[in-house]
Amino acid sequence: MELFVNQVLAGLATGAIYACMALAVVMIYQAIDSLNFAQGEMAMFSTFIAWQLLQWGMPYWAAFFFTVGISFVAGVLIERVVFKPVQKADILSHIVIFIALFAIINSGAGYIWDFNIKPFPSPFGTRELFGQRLISSHDAGMIGISILMLILLYLFFAYTRVGLAMRAAAANPESARLAGIRVGWMLALGWGMAAAIGAVAGMLIAPRVFLEPNMMLSILLYGFAGAVVGGLTSPLGAVIGGVSVGVVENLAGTFIPYVGRELKLTIALALIVAVLTVKPTGLFGRTVETRV
Amino acid sequence: MTAILLEAKRMDAYYGPVQVLYGIDIEVVSGGITTLLGANGAGKTTTLRSLTGMTDTKGEIRFDGHSIAGHATEDIVRLGIAHVPQGRGTFVRETVEENLQIGAMTRRGGAQITADVERVYGYFPRLKERRRQQAGTLSGGEQQMLAVGRGLMLRPKLMLLDEPSFGLAPLLVQELFGILRTLNRDEGVSMLIVEQNAALALDLADHAYLIETGKLVMSGPSRELRDNETIRRSYLGY
Repeated sequence: MELFVNQVLAGLATGAIYACMALAVVMIYQAIDSLNFAQGEMAMFSTFIAWQLLQWGMPYWAAFFFTVGISFVAGVLIERVVFKPVQKADILSHIVIFIALFAIINSGAGYIWDFNIKPFPSPFGTRELFGQRLISSHDAGMIGISILMLILLYLFFAYTRVGLAMRAAAANPESARLAGIRVGWMLALGWGMAAAIGAVAGMLIAPRVFLEPNMMLSILLYGFAGAVVGGLTSPLGAVIGGVSVGVVENLAGTFIPYVGRELKLTIALALIVAVLTVKPTGLFGRTVETRV
Repeated sequence: MTAILLEAKRMDAYYGPVQVLYGIDIEVVSGGITTLLGANGAGKTTTLRSLTGMTDTKGEIRFDGHSIAGHATEDIVRLGIAHVPQGRGTFVRETVEENLQIGAMTRRGGAQITADVERVYGYFPRLKERRRQQAGTLSGGEQQMLAVGRGLMLRPKLMLLDEPSFGLAPLLVQELFGILRTLNRDEGVSMLIVEQNAALALDLADHAYLIETGKLVMSGPSRELRDNETIRRSYLGY
């Protein structure tokens, strides 16, 4: 029983990170209707920036928020410089650009910081909490920060004017323009926020998986799985999907013989296929009925 | 005094390489209601879309002293043009009230916006009953009212209305056109209305244009067009 609870909690912790990546993917998907394959690499690069700042002697939380800020600006710039010129191009062009971004950022990080794995510190330490071997303090911190960030995002989108404008721009760009909303900037803002969310996810998961240019590859796949499970059109679904993927993956790896560590990633892909077969809109993907 | 609020001169419009409008000259007088009549596919919607920068256009377009040809839609809208599009442009997942808030996105001042939401509810009480409902669940008529309401939230000088009667029950059409008349008379909102229902439009408007296959073929006071033999036969049907 203790092992079970233990694995569920560990699953929730990594699930929180998948949820963040899934959310970042969904935010960009809603804006431009395609999956950002470079989301993980952007997060990885952000984590390297944080690592560099820490190396230069910046305190952890200063480096943390500084990195989030830099990532936000970088996300906005990527949209303005790379995607704005091709906004009318078809989906294949977008995919090619995503793959290019993936390769450029990946090798760029390798070029600057080399491919050796590096330890990344946790601000929460790795003590065991509550005197039992239930959950480590870092896992608890991961869950806490993710929940805090999700609540802030929810409040932003539900209750601020900019949040409403961003929703309008994503839902119906033409009608949003007719309301005077600067749709292009709303998309850029979405990119910035997705990059910032990814940065947080990268910095939180790095102590677990260690820092190196390929560290986000599997994390992003789990994030995609979470997004697909929840439905690519539903931010809430993406979060729930991401968390579920984390828990399922952990439990399957522990309790199903043959799965173990090696086949864990397969679970994510199997989930994607299963969900797409049974319910292509995802568990929470909405199709609003409209009357005319 | 009849100042000209909106004026297009020799306006051409293109969808990609295909030219769809040829040298359109159109004027909307400040405080007036103008209508643009024509059959399906004549270019009515394209004319409205061209005026708010949603097609590739050539020629001169002036609004309220500004040249707006080639400007971005959102910048044109910010000058005070509310374009209520065909298909109503509803934000289906947002609530009715959020839809109205979206309409006021170009403005500052929360108290005034709240007052304007109430003003719209005053015109369309049905929307108030459904204020917390997802807008996609409204009936077609209610969505049309929401679209007009969203346009009003901009505090426009000019409203461009694309087939406001489309898909509405006759009683609802009467109600909606009554409200449009009130808005024009009491609040001085100028209007350019595109309609297939020519009788209705000529009744409301004081000036009318007729468009056929991308060219203006007739223009004049509504009275004159209503009495015109061709219009009567082809568009009024008696």
